[in-house]
Amino acid sequence: MDIISQLQEQVNTIAALAFNTFGTLQRDAPPVRLSPNYPEPPSQEPTEDSATIAEQPKLMSAALVKAAKQFDALVAALPLSDGGEEEQLKRIAELQAENDVVGQELQKQLQAAEQELVQVQELFSQVADNCLNLKKAD
Amino acid sequence: MATATYPPPPPFYKLYKDYLQDPKSAPEPPPPIEGTYMCFGSNYTTDDVLPSLEEQGVRQLYPRGPNVDYKKELRSLNRELQLHILELADILVERPSQYARRVEEISLIFKNLHHLLNSLRPHQARATLIHILELQIERRRQAVEDIKRRREEAQRLLMESLETLDGH
Repeated sequence: MDIISQLQEQVNTIAALAFNTFGTLQRDAPPVRLSPNYPEPPSQEPTEDSATIAEQPKLMSAALVKAAKQFDALVAALPLSDGGEEEQLKRIAELQAENDVVGQELQKQLQAAEQELVQVQELFSQVADNCLNLKKAD
Repeated sequence: MATATYPPPPPFYKLYKDYLQDPKSAPEPPPPIEGTYMCFGSNYTTDDVLPSLEEQGVRQLYPRGPNVDYKKELRSLNRELQLHILELADILVERPSQYARRVEEISLIFKNLHHLLNSLRPHQARATLIHILELQIERRRQAVEDIKRRREEAQRLLMESLETLDGH
């Protein structure tokens, strides 16, 4: 995949990681005490291990940071020579001129080669005729 | 708009009955469309250009100008994004009811990121064109070399056979 599409995919990945992080953490967060007036929330049996709940933010934020670093690496890999539009257009014009010159050279060579082919074919048919005539004369 | 499950082909083919005998008896192909046209019920424009962010009503975060330093801007937008994500996490802990503004800012950063990447596409197209032209020049040079070599080879063979026949 080309580099720009990779960059676009990476941006979407970062977005997905971000909303997955927040969504998961919000969904799995245990209830929290709001104010000292109200009693402690009834502590239910945690459906998930408290260890997993504690390390989920670490894992997910590590993934987020890794994705961001990858994005930076991809940006560094951009072959942007800061050509600017004018430079690119100039180079295209140069290449077109060179292409035309080489194309004409090719055309010339091709025509000469075709002429020689016609001559050789002519010669060959004469030779073949002579051979036939010689054989007949035998 | 009239629709059918299996519509018949348009009846224009009858106009081209005598095309082989008289190419001028049939109508010319229609000229290229200019401006906007309608296709399958929606409007399309022939001018394919990336609409600027202001036209989409989105604030532009990176400085505009003739030459934007794409790498620098992409990197700084990435950092901004990370900071905003962190801010959102903080806000959700401290003042959860004020998430909307942060979420909006994060989506703004994403829109800017995608717009920057899309504006790189014309540059990529021109670079591809340059690459193709270079390849074509290389191939043509190669072909010229090949033809020269073969012609010389053929000349040599003819000379040799001439000598062989003369010596006979």
